[in-house]
Amino acid sequence: MPPIARAYVRWIDRINRAVGRAAMWGIFALIGVLFWSAISKAAFTPSIWTLEAAQFLMVAYYLLGGPYSMQTGDHVRMDLAYSRWSPRTRAAVDSVTVLFLIFYLGFLLAGGISSTIYSIEFGERARSLWRPYMWPIKVVMCVAIALMALQAIAQLIRNIAEARGTPLPSALDPARDHVGEGAQ
Amino acid sequence: MSYEAIALMMFASMMVMLITGQRVFGAIGAVAVAAAVLMWGGGGFELAFSSAMKLMRWYPLLTLPLFIYMGYMMSESGIADDLYEMFHIWSGGLRGGLAVGTILLMVAISAMNGLSVAGMAIGATIAMPELLRRGYDKIMVTGVIQAGSSLGILVPPSVVLVLYGMIARAPVGQLWLAGAIPGLMMASMFIAYIVIRCRLQPSLGPVLPAAERAQITWGDKLRSLRAGVWPLLIFFSMTGLFVMGYTSLVESSAVGAVAATLAALFKGRLSFRVLEATARKTLGISCMFMWIILAALCFGAVFDGLGAVRALESLFTEKLGLGPWEILILMQLTYLILGTFLDDTAMLVIVAPLFVPLVKALGFDLVWYGVLYTITCQVAYMTPPFGYNLFLMRAMAPPEIGITDIYRSVIPFVGVMVLALVLVMAFPQIALWLPGLVYGN
Repeated sequence: MPPIARAYVRWIDRINRAVGRAAMWGIFALIGVLFWSAISKAAFTPSIWTLEAAQFLMVAYYLLGGPYSMQTGDHVRMDLAYSRWSPRTRAAVDSVTVLFLIFYLGFLLAGGISSTIYSIEFGERARSLWRPYMWPIKVVMCVAIALMALQAIAQLIRNIAEARGTPLPSALDPARDHVGEGAQ
Repeated sequence: MSYEAIALMMFASMMVMLITGQRVFGAIGAVAVAAAVLMWGGGGFELAFSSAMKLMRWYPLLTLPLFIYMGYMMSESGIADDLYEMFHIWSGGLRGGLAVGTILLMVAISAMNGLSVAGMAIGATIAMPELLRRGYDKIMVTGVIQAGSSLGILVPPSVVLVLYGMIARAPVGQLWLAGAIPGLMMASMFIAYIVIRCRLQPSLGPVLPAAERAQITWGDKLRSLRAGVWPLLIFFSMTGLFVMGYTSLVESSAVGAVAATLAALFKGRLSFRVLEATARKTLGISCMFMWIILAALCFGAVFDGLGAVRALESLFTEKLGLGPWEILILMQLTYLILGTFLDDTAMLVIVAPLFVPLVKALGFDLVWYGVLYTITCQVAYMTPPFGYNLFLMRAMAPPEIGITDIYRSVIPFVGVMVLALVLVMAFPQIALWLPGLVYGN
């Protein structure tokens, strides 16, 4: 692979691994917010912000964690045929089908950007008691989807390299990153 | 091109993409946006992102990562080891007793968690090695763990019923209670199957050696019952408080997550390593589910735009001229067949919105149908080529258990599940009695 492609994969892997491992701790924030909601309801006046804050946290959690979970191969595949192929065949087929994934993420991102611009322009707020502005979470969503698309392109480069018989090294640390089922 | 043809094209191209092994969410999402843009041009491109916003507003889905977290935390906490020990001591003297104990263990886990992941993790790491060491038949053991853990989505709490409740706009409290008796009934049927099978073929599940049984005193037996305290506490703090109306659905799942963490803390198992591993696995499984639901919502929105519900209704009632029961049975069969090939979560999000309005129009009870739906989902979780329990089993099982063993192991249990499905269809009261009792009619 050309050095620039190798450098791209190395950097995207690093960035997304760091972002994903930061998002991973978001589960405790989510538990904390909802637990606080339960306590505040029992002890004094119920909080009006908890449910929406939890929704924002959840969206950021799974979108920002997406690229890292792609690296670790947590996204399941239907492997009836796939599991019987050699790693090289898999990589060759993947390097074609991953284009569809990139296509989907591209549309997701395009819709996200247009929706975010609308929110900023008109100062859109959620229709609730708390009425938070919508643009901050939408910006986070767009960044996360963009990272996912960049990761999918990195996977494409990885697949091409593997199909040509020169696999790229993995950015994962086998001791700390549990490697999932769909890892190629 | 007619709408029916477009719908068929969408399903066909999704199948092709799935078979070539691309990530499930990518396959579903790509087909959905391609169809949206082809049909509606420029207006179609925002559909993918508006599904993301819709997903955000589906607040009951907040329970999903919390239940996943809880499941992994429980398997780390040691609650499950003690429970296994308890069932081991009490039922070891029976032929196939340890397998029966494993089913009971799974019922207890299911009452604490709303997914099958927790049961699979606990079954594969705690029960399975022990059963194999005791000379239990490996195919039997594999089937027991997969079938038992699938109870996680039927016995309350249940994430599948939460998802269904959002789609059908049915109250989750009633749905959960409706799943309780069918879940226990199915567990008893599994047990009956194991006992009968082991009576006929004693080699499948040998009795604990007499010498070992003699060592277990009544003191041991009674002491082992203490293992049941934590599960009861967790069940009460989660489902109990929710059904009594003290906590909301999502709050109760947070209470459960905290309770599981506390259990690990009191048992001295909580370390930074455990927290990190739990957070890591929770992220992986949550991302997998959420991205699939995200793509499936987009797919479903396209189907909705095609008017698929009306098309389906006219196909069943006018073109085929079927009665309500025939349609219901046909729907379950369709779902069973599709469920074996397609991703189970995606199926739920795509197919439920098609079926639910039809069920309502036919005059059936939506809470009862939720239970039928969940049982069908359980079957889908276990049937090859696509089932989460199969994936998890393969990832977790020891190497001597091959893929064909796993496939063969589910056959008798799927039979039992289909029997349970038929029973609940024929006698709706099995599902509806308990919610009727608690909430009144």
